[in-house]
Amino acid sequence: MRPNFFHHLHPPTIPARQARFRYTLAAGGLAVFLVLVLCVTGILEVFYYIPTPDQAAQSIQTLAFLVPFGGLVRNLHFWAAQFLVIVSLLHLLRVIFTGAYLPPRRFNYLLGMGLFVLAVLLDFTGYVLRWDEGIHYALIAGTNLIKSIPLIGGLLYGSLVGGSQPGAATLIRIYGWHICGLMLAAGILLVWHIFHVRRDGGIAVPPPHLRASQERISRFELVRREVLAMLLASVALLILSVFAPAPLAAPITVDSAISATARAPWFFLWVQELLKLGSPFLWGVVVPLAVLLALTLIPYVFPKPSETELGKWFPKGTRLAQVFFVGILLALLVLTVLALLPMS
Amino acid sequence: MRRLIVIASALLLLTLLGIAWWDGHRVKPIALIPTLTGKEEYCLTCHSDLPEISKSHPVKTFGCVICHGGEPLALDATLAHSTLRGGANPADYSVVQANCGGTNCHSGTAATFSDDIQRSTTSIQDTYAGAIAVMRYTYGAQSSLQAQFGTSAIQDPLSTSGITSLKMFDPQTETNPELRLFGQNCLTCHLSAQPLQNGGRYDHFTGCAACHTPTQAPDLTSVNTKTATLVHQLTTAIPYTQCDACHNRGNYDLRTMTFQPRTDTATTRLQDYYQPIAQFTKCEWTLDCIDCHTRTEAMGDGSLYSSKLDIQYIQCQTCHGTLTSLPKTRTLTDPNDLAFRLAQLNPVVTLQLGDTILVTDKGEPLWNTRLLPDGTYHLVGKATGQVFTFKPVMGSGCLQNPDDQSSASCHQCHSVQR
Amino acid sequence: MREEKLSRRDFLKLARNGLLTLSGLLGLAGLLRYLSYQSQPPVPTEFILGAPTDYAPGSRTVLSQVPALLIRSTSGFTALSLVCPHLGCTVDPQPDGFTCPCHGSRFGLQGQVVHGPAGKALTVLRVENAPDGKLHLFTN
Repeated sequence: MRPNFFHHLHPPTIPARQARFRYTLAAGGLAVFLVLVLCVTGILEVFYYIPTPDQAAQSIQTLAFLVPFGGLVRNLHFWAAQFLVIVSLLHLLRVIFTGAYLPPRRFNYLLGMGLFVLAVLLDFTGYVLRWDEGIHYALIAGTNLIKSIPLIGGLLYGSLVGGSQPGAATLIRIYGWHICGLMLAAGILLVWHIFHVRRDGGIAVPPPHLRASQERISRFELVRREVLAMLLASVALLILSVFAPAPLAAPITVDSAISATARAPWFFLWVQELLKLGSPFLWGVVVPLAVLLALTLIPYVFPKPSETELGKWFPKGTRLAQVFFVGILLALLVLTVLALLPMS
Repeated sequence: MRRLIVIASALLLLTLLGIAWWDGHRVKPIALIPTLTGKEEYCLTCHSDLPEISKSHPVKTFGCVICHGGEPLALDATLAHSTLRGGANPADYSVVQANCGGTNCHSGTAATFSDDIQRSTTSIQDTYAGAIAVMRYTYGAQSSLQAQFGTSAIQDPLSTSGITSLKMFDPQTETNPELRLFGQNCLTCHLSAQPLQNGGRYDHFTGCAACHTPTQAPDLTSVNTKTATLVHQLTTAIPYTQCDACHNRGNYDLRTMTFQPRTDTATTRLQDYYQPIAQFTKCEWTLDCIDCHTRTEAMGDGSLYSSKLDIQYIQCQTCHGTLTSLPKTRTLTDPNDLAFRLAQLNPVVTLQLGDTILVTDKGEPLWNTRLLPDGTYHLVGKATGQVFTFKPVMGSGCLQNPDDQSSASCHQCHSVQR
Repeated sequence: MREEKLSRRDFLKLARNGLLTLSGLLGLAGLLRYLSYQSQPPVPTEFILGAPTDYAPGSRTVLSQVPALLIRSTSGFTALSLVCPHLGCTVDPQPDGFTCPCHGSRFGLQGQVVHGPAGKALTVLRVENAPDGKLHLFTN
């Protein structure tokens, strides 16, 4: 058959060994699929969501309970978003454990880190748009963390919140960031990132003379595998969305107070735990940015493996980087678990 | 790979069909747009089996949320009930202002007869100020019988009794151990307190609903079945059994500072009504409490008092008169008279302009009584609907001392052996 | 004629396309149902106009909330809708009838078309004397 548009997005052939699921975990592809699901379900939600403080939570209740399949659309959006963060992390993990960040792929690694940050920010802004008691803590703490930055904190706070405290202006700005600002940035980075995958030589492999096998698969086979993955992921997402609804709490009203079980969203629980140690700027801004910086600098700081080690998991040459990465992940995991324990 | 794709496509189709089936079997939301709010509510989706609460609060007009709070659009129980004001009882005094009070409901002025919340929250039945004042005086914690403490802190700047505020009685801050014991054992009889034996035979709601929601059967049924039923109902036809959910249940023993419940068993209305130690006339057990005790006596007049003696004023002479005077009456000429409004809420009688009814010394209308043109006096039981004719004292062979109009004096001849 | 057997590959392709098309149609049906939900309450069709004595005999009163013109004649009450039958603008009452500011339609005193792109007369609306003693106007 003649290759169509989707076939042409892929290289004519790719090495068979690296095309296997157990090599890539399909993580990058799944991330793209989840972004598509998020765009479609997000646009559908725009038809019903009302971004004002007295109507936001109620419009979500209308969507979740009264609109036909509204609950399904919302739950799909929620789960696709949470899985995007997890799958992106998995993709990062795969890239580090296969040493696929070596030059010439170092710039693409930076683009990927940028996408990861955007995914987390999109998850957070989407979370805040609920404007109910469940997100109240995150709204207050998050905006005040920005205010704690010396010199420019006040200016940044003002431009994010649109006033002296979170209110109607904040909601509409966060809505603008979520559906336009961050999406535009993410769209640009995504296209650039995928372009760079091909420009940098496709999936990371050893040079031809060092390869264990010369077998390759065609773009048609590759697209078939991706279609299968998308179908299976759709089924899983749909079933999950039917049985596990997205969280919903009572709307924020003038006389509502932050509940005793104030919790950050799951991906920021580690920051909430760090904040118990003291200064908001140090533990809430500096340390998390340092963690991000540490992850970003992995390709630049750690010793590079030789070309022979490309294309497989756990190359010896990048062992230090792998251990470092696992160390950070474990630290974040421990902090998250600690944050979930009841406060004594 | 191609085969796998077909299988996956089949799985997708099956999933979508399953979702269509699931959607078809979801509970259908039932919408209600009450005329007072104009906003949709979906409470009836789950609660359509609840009876109408009363003729004056039809659900088509009020809906549910205006009294109960809650999330009107949520079909998930936890979320829908998360913002309820007062749980199952919106009349509890902690939330009554937002629910029963509202913007123009029961939180108005005496002139429009809508100051019910202000009166009942300052009434002795809720503040318990009398019992607390007597106890504190007896045990040396205060030097006069004037009330300083109540069951909750309350301000009443327009009070005409001289008491404009009460502090909250906190037994833990009392130095005398008897008073702490009093706080522990004896504070279950006011309108905001959870009933003794919660869930038992005398179960009732708190706040306005303590009286106006009839959890007790109007007759001896509760004696036999030993249960109360928590109902979704408001009424002004309150039977004696509802008052007896608190009153006539026993006595406090000051020596041990405990409550001693009565131990007799009742098989007749007479036996059920009062404790064996009480002395009463026939009308005091044939009629219900509210047939005599007026609106002001039960709900207060808006001022804070130190004793129930300051607010209870009904006497036998109110209906029967004295040897030298007939009972006071009023002919109804004003269509806005309170008597018409009360009669409309509990239609055991149909009052008309020109009817003559009895009134108390304070001018309160005894709307269930009438002086007929031929001179006979009529009373209809507010809870039973029974019709009674009664005679005035004047012109009868009564041997009363006209200066002693206390009930003890009438009881000397007219009291009934139990 | 030699019967051409469907090859395995073509059968799988047919099955795949068929299943995906059915899924797509189901999805489309779901999408249409999703978009069809009406979150706004419907426009009222009944208006309470006050006591009949509020309107003098021979009067023509503009009711802007409907919008309609209430006419009290010797034989009783009628009402004319002031919604132009052409494309829905509100017509202006004139001494000799009504004109529409949008595309120039003109109507006579009884609402009949005199000129203009409108093809139908102004709708006559039902007015009733309700048991509560007030006039009720119905737009349906």
